[in-house]
Amino acid sequence: MYPFGKGIRRLTPYLLLLIPFILYLVYYVGPSAMTVLYSFTDVTNVPGSDFRFVGLDNYRELFTSGNSAERWDSILRTVYFMAVVTIVQNGVALLVAILINQKLKGDYFYRAVFFLPVVLGVAVVALLWSFMFDPVNGPVNKLYRVFGYSDTFFGSFDHAFEYIIFVQIWMYMGYSMLIFLAGLQSVPKDLYEAGYIDGTSRWQSFRHITFPLIAPAFTVNILLSIIGAMQTFDIIVATTDGRFNTRTMAYDVYKETFRGTLEMGLPSALSVIQFLFILVFVIIVVGRLRRREVEF
Amino acid sequence: MRASRLVSGVSYLIVLLLIAIYLVPLLLVLNVSFKSFEEFLMNPLGLVDTVKWSNFTQAWTEGKFSNYFLNSLLYTGVSTLLTVILSLFAAFPIARGYVKWGSLIYVFFLMSQFLPNPLVAQFKLMLFLREELPLIGYDTKLGYILLRTTGTGIVFMMFVGYVKTISRELDEAAGMDGAGYTRYLFQIVLPLMKPVIATGIILTAIGTWNDFVGPIMYLSSPDNWPITAGLKEFRGQYGNNWPLLACGILIVSAPLILLYAFIQKYIVDGALAGAVKA
Repeated sequence: MYPFGKGIRRLTPYLLLLIPFILYLVYYVGPSAMTVLYSFTDVTNVPGSDFRFVGLDNYRELFTSGNSAERWDSILRTVYFMAVVTIVQNGVALLVAILINQKLKGDYFYRAVFFLPVVLGVAVVALLWSFMFDPVNGPVNKLYRVFGYSDTFFGSFDHAFEYIIFVQIWMYMGYSMLIFLAGLQSVPKDLYEAGYIDGTSRWQSFRHITFPLIAPAFTVNILLSIIGAMQTFDIIVATTDGRFNTRTMAYDVYKETFRGTLEMGLPSALSVIQFLFILVFVIIVVGRLRRREVEF
Repeated sequence: MRASRLVSGVSYLIVLLLIAIYLVPLLLVLNVSFKSFEEFLMNPLGLVDTVKWSNFTQAWTEGKFSNYFLNSLLYTGVSTLLTVILSLFAAFPIARGYVKWGSLIYVFFLMSQFLPNPLVAQFKLMLFLREELPLIGYDTKLGYILLRTTGTGIVFMMFVGYVKTISRELDEAAGMDGAGYTRYLFQIVLPLMKPVIATGIILTAIGTWNDFVGPIMYLSSPDNWPITAGLKEFRGQYGNNWPLLACGILIVSAPLILLYAFIQKYIVDGALAGAVKA
């Protein structure tokens, strides 16, 4: 029952809701749908120019043109990036959350520090680690030299991508940790006490009490890491800008839209493929994780 | 769970090691920012010898940071304000069921997480707008703000959850007293939502202030650049002059570090609320 008047005044909530709705439609849903449409056309980014449907030509070109080997490299690299980031980031985050949750002194301080990189933002974080990884005067290389090793970091064809993965994990570990912490804090304490009386070991109580009960946090975290990692390209732009074998699908979409040729069908097709990848991974992983969740 | 002394010792060790990996880079940057370029080259890692404050003024003026800073303030301020108001406009009636098909619209708004990347067509849209509506097109301040403004993201989700905890009887009492919908929203609901609005403001502000690729994509003239784009340009100019670049890092991050220090409780709790309800 609507308490704020009748007749014409009944429309006010609709009118106000219309504003975010239109913005969302114009700036997000519309472009998203248009991207799918564009992927079947030879559209260019010249405003007002004509375009025609070309069927699957863009998709064919993605995988059969001269640089299709590079394309496959960047797809494999994207999957690798996603897998490593998801596993390592959540692994470390879970460990830290468990440690902090056992009431270490200064737990609030630790939480704040681990979340700090998200606050600092990509521009600052990338520059911060470019300094740390400076091949000449950087602290990390000084440390490496102590062990008789040395690297060119973001300028290395072999390792640049691994360092980007490190920075990505460094930046977002705190976020995953917070979500795990929220999950851990919602586990009722008496379950552990019951287990303690029954003589369960530490591992058993983790495996049979903690793990099933924080399964929702797992689902959320893994979902966020997969979607996030598949779409990340700002950190690549800010560190290597795609050089030194660090291109991913999301980076390619960005690059070919904004600095490549005028053609926009190709990056659109790539966006659609990127979306399908995300969809498949999300369906597989979330399907498996959901089954582990229990009610309590 | 009772932790033995050994276990808690190892726990502290691991956490402190990780804390070092998070804090040491910042402390090193702070140290380097005080050095002259010569001192940095001679001794890049040692503790600063004589503090060179002029690094900061030099970085500030040569990086044109005052310009970019103002732009960042404008973008962050306006789009955060709009995002919060629009999220309220969307969240309140949906949470209350005051609009038809509310739950359908809710799901529609959440779809943003799963839709195909709109980047390509967004860019084309901005170019199109430059031709048709030059005020909000590509490379305009207003256009960039509108692009950054949404009433449908994580803030909206948090708001929906929060509105459900506000008693519905308040609505009825206010309606009985003859309050209009808009007035009720701003004078009663808005103040009641203070905690979640604070969180929403902070999360949106961090996101906008730190947006790194948005300005590169949609703002081509330096007059419109926010501070992140300014930092990128500054880096291009000063290559490996790390004392000056370190000042740049600190100039860009100082406002956020300060803000964070004061309100980190809200940020952390807000991120928790937002994430778990997502």
